[in-house]
Amino acid sequence: MSVLVWLGVAALGGVGAVLRLRLDALVQLRTDGEFPLGTFAVNVVGSFCLGLLVGLGIGGDALLLAGTGLLGSFTTFSTWMFETGRLAEDGEARIALANVGVSICAGLGAGALGWLIGAAA
Amino acid sequence: MIGDCLKLTVYFGESDRVDGRLLSDALLDLFERAELRASVLLRGVEGFGIKHQLHTQRFLTLSEDLPLVAVAVDERERIERVLPEATALVGGGLVTLERARLLSDHVAVGELPEELNEATKVSIVLGRDERIGERPAFLTVVDRLRAAGLSGASVLLGVDGTVHGRRRRARFFSRNAGVPLLVVGVGSGAAVIDGLAALDGLLADPLLTLERVRVCKRDGRRLAEPRHLPDSDPSGLGVWQKLTVHAVEDSRHGGHPLYVELIRRLREEGASGATSVRGMWGFSGDHPPHGDRLLSIRRRVPVVTTIVDRPDEIQRWFRVVDEVTDEAGLVTSEMVPAFHAVAPETRRVGGLRLARLRY
Repeated sequence: MSVLVWLGVAALGGVGAVLRLRLDALVQLRTDGEFPLGTFAVNVVGSFCLGLLVGLGIGGDALLLAGTGLLGSFTTFSTWMFETGRLAEDGEARIALANVGVSICAGLGAGALGWLIGAAA
Repeated sequence: MIGDCLKLTVYFGESDRVDGRLLSDALLDLFERAELRASVLLRGVEGFGIKHQLHTQRFLTLSEDLPLVAVAVDERERIERVLPEATALVGGGLVTLERARLLSDHVAVGELPEELNEATKVSIVLGRDERIGERPAFLTVVDRLRAAGLSGASVLLGVDGTVHGRRRRARFFSRNAGVPLLVVGVGSGAAVIDGLAALDGLLADPLLTLERVRVCKRDGRRLAEPRHLPDSDPSGLGVWQKLTVHAVEDSRHGGHPLYVELIRRLREEGASGATSVRGMWGFSGDHPPHGDRLLSIRRRVPVVTTIVDRPDEIQRWFRVVDEVTDEAGLVTSEMVPAFHAVAPETRRVGGLRLARLRY
């Protein structure tokens, strides 16, 4: 792996983080409920995009840059877990479980859909 | 007892800056230089201001600028001396002044001034690690207040402050033993007299304030409405009011945490601001004191939510509060004689001359 790819991953990682922050806040500020919809949105969108990349047959350095770099920092496992924990602290067991269950199902679905679209293209 | 004291409260945001420094640091430095008797900086868990933007620790992206509340109490002239600089520092936020009485050395009082008899809020400043015998002091203080018949009390952990004029600031790698915490209790005048008698001689270096309040609701029961106050005093100075909702244990409304529902409803109805601060220990009514327990995920700590607005608006917000506290919660109302709100577009409302009302 060349230094250039390393730098590319670093740069795209930064871009992904900023995009994540923007989309997360955009969605979260428009909703009023207790469900962490912002984090849910970035994870589902990220899963769809990664599925699409794989479906399109992108590999090698390009996948490393776009998948690991851009989407890796765009999606977030830690925030998903953190916000689930906060819901549990507030006694919102049902919403906490829904946050785990719905995110997994929607993430798998979005990834599969992206892959199908990519493979068909 | 020092009768003529003032309580200065500043509601602002964690990321607010002034001249490149954090506003919270600038304010507490100011309190330190003025050697104010008591000041505490509290971190909120949720709230919103005039822009109606929600700040909450529940969502990571919305938790970057959580609400802060800085409270300082001292004799009237000493507070008035820091006032011009304090208000000049606040570029966006709310500054209020309230009348208070201060007790140090001997805390037992035979009787209270007449206006405190209906109900009194007592705020006790303790060190985070202060002990009475083997036990943390706040546990004993809360037990004594409960035994004396107070309606409720919450323990709020400060992160910075001054105690007897000396700076006590929490640091990352430190025991932080002296950092102040506040025990805020509410009860009838008679209960507060008994509570103070039970605390006499117990605290090494007592520092506490008494303020006039009205208890509007307790455990879902409505006891009184917030007093209907005029918009201004006889000399034309603006009058404001404060509603405080103590949600105890894991108080809920419609199955959701009470404070979350309250903030959501107030924001929906267009209130100009509200701040929730989470405590670490407390009690309400006949229920035994409670706090977090080891290995329990669900938190059982009090959350105190404050709303300050014009008297007619407060009647409106009380209807919202009334609905949300149908199952639980201790609700009090107070007069706020001076209010100064600064919005970022340099819009200023109110002033800091104290209104005087007889009621």
